Amino acid sequence: MSLLAAQGLTRRFGGLVAVDDVSFEVFEGTILALIGPNGAGKSTLFNLLTAFDRADAGRVAFDGRDLAGLPPHRLVRLGLARTFQNTQLFEEMTALENVLAGAHTRTRTGWARAALRLPGTAGEERDAREEAERLLRLVGLEAVARTHAADLPHGTRRLLEVARALASHPRLLLLDEPAAGLNSAETGQLAHVLRQVRDSGVTLIVVEHDMGLVMEVSDEIVVLNEGRKIAEGPPLLIQKDPAVIAAYLGEEAADA
Amino acid sequence: MAVLRRMLPGAVVAVLVLGLPLVVHDRYLLKVLSFVGIDVVVVLGLALLFGFAGQISLGQAAFFGIGAYTTSVLVAALGWPWLGGVAAAVLVSAGAGALLALPVGRLKGHYLAMATLGFGEIALIAFTELKGITGGTDGLSGIPYPQVGSFVARAPEANYLLVWAVAIVAYVLAANVVALRPGRALRALHGSEAGAQASGIDVARTKVTAFAVAAGLAGLGGALYAHLVGFISPGSFTIELSILLVAMVALGGMGSLPGAVVGAVLLGMLPYLDAVVPGLTKSTVEALQSWEADIYGAVLILVMLFMPHGLAGAFRRFFPGRGGEGS
Repeated sequence: MSLLAAQGLTRRFGGLVAVDDVSFEVFEGTILALIGPNGAGKSTLFNLLTAFDRADAGRVAFDGRDLAGLPPHRLVRLGLARTFQNTQLFEEMTALENVLAGAHTRTRTGWARAALRLPGTAGEERDAREEAERLLRLVGLEAVARTHAADLPHGTRRLLEVARALASHPRLLLLDEPAAGLNSAETGQLAHVLRQVRDSGVTLIVVEHDMGLVMEVSDEIVVLNEGRKIAEGPPLLIQKDPAVIAAYLGEEAADA
Repeated sequence: MAVLRRMLPGAVVAVLVLGLPLVVHDRYLLKVLSFVGIDVVVVLGLALLFGFAGQISLGQAAFFGIGAYTTSVLVAALGWPWLGGVAAAVLVSAGAGALLALPVGRLKGHYLAMATLGFGEIALIAFTELKGITGGTDGLSGIPYPQVGSFVARAPEANYLLVWAVAIVAYVLAANVVALRPGRALRALHGSEAGAQASGIDVARTKVTAFAVAAGLAGLGGALYAHLVGFISPGSFTIELSILLVAMVALGGMGSLPGAVVGAVLLGMLPYLDAVVPGLTKSTVEALQSWEADIYGAVLILVMLFMPHGLAGAFRRFFPGRGGEGS
């Protein structure tokens, strides 16, 4: 059974149909890439999937459950986490604290329990810190654990956002252009992390421009153009799909 | 061991603060320091709301007033015990804070500042016009000293100890909150609301809680104030107080509880400088008091321009690696 199923998703902005009747499924334990030329509606679709925007029509089901009407923070609780195209880190907090904040749904200490340091709070904090340190190691950022997010270079910030998202122990992780602005070494590190995350049992949806990365890591690709889904399938088939080449890869093929 | 070492500096400060009446017998100074202690209680709340969660409130004087009027009416007019009056003051102010946060929690930055400013003015008018309850511009007088059982805290020493004991407890509770999960949620709100939502933090609920706690502490301060002074009137709950509280947090440094306390002590002492600086002429003190609001405004402007991270930020710059993290 699919972990996430989008059905007939539509989003209009005035006269523009940014996402037009898009349906697709993601299967557990796979990496799905969402690609398309600029303005194809990828980010809009991404925001619909994560409840940061509301669809005018259609629905999203996660593990068989309709997500309609749920606010973004509830989705995290259900096991659906995301990163942002423009990183949304907590700049005045250290890398470690950013990841700890990402563990919000997995931890329970509330105001009263924290204020009185009731039994259990110290243990929960210690466990959360150990787990946060493990996740920083996973993305290769253990050396900057005590550095403020504001002082981290761009590529590191993207990886930190991945670690923060993983701190909620999601079943599905959605990444919005994770390789944007990364150099090839950083992209390589990212690809390595994504495969490790998938191998640990997390399903991934990746919106991405970097075709190298997409072809390298994804199991399945959904291609959008002008808000519509024009193709879907494994990387090798997508590369040969005439509609995709015409709409998107065509320009690059012509250049090459 | 690690826990003891972490708590030691705070424990030393607490002992010094509470031991002060053993060496200081100046009634005026103790009275002034009691007012400063009240400022500390109120500022701790605003430090959580504004300094940590980044939600500005220019209406804290309203909650201070709501707390003061609540306990005054209940204790002076209806004969409630002091402790009951103070507890009710905290609950009523916190409730008012939560109710205010429901609509204004959607606002950010300048809009939030304007909305909370408006709330402060509405409350001030209510304090003035609800004459049957508040006594209008004449205010309420004859508010009794704090009393528990047969013990009445009438002496300046007793008032000082009461206020600072409350301030120290409030500080410890607030410090625990900011060091753990709820504190990270507050700072996450400040950093990025989208990022907070993506971390599973219920942004709206966190704001309501932060407003309620800040208002509750302001109400607690107001209640302490009313029983200390014995008389309250709308003039004590104006926008000037709200701005002073924001200036205290800004001077101390956003996101720092020790900073907020130092800011409260420095600015709170300012109009009563003669209590600690001997030989100040009466006219100097009067000038300080009449220019009080202007000085606070100037401090706020200068801090924003030259020391955006306040005293705590300056401290971190000179002593790197100390107190850098919220824990």
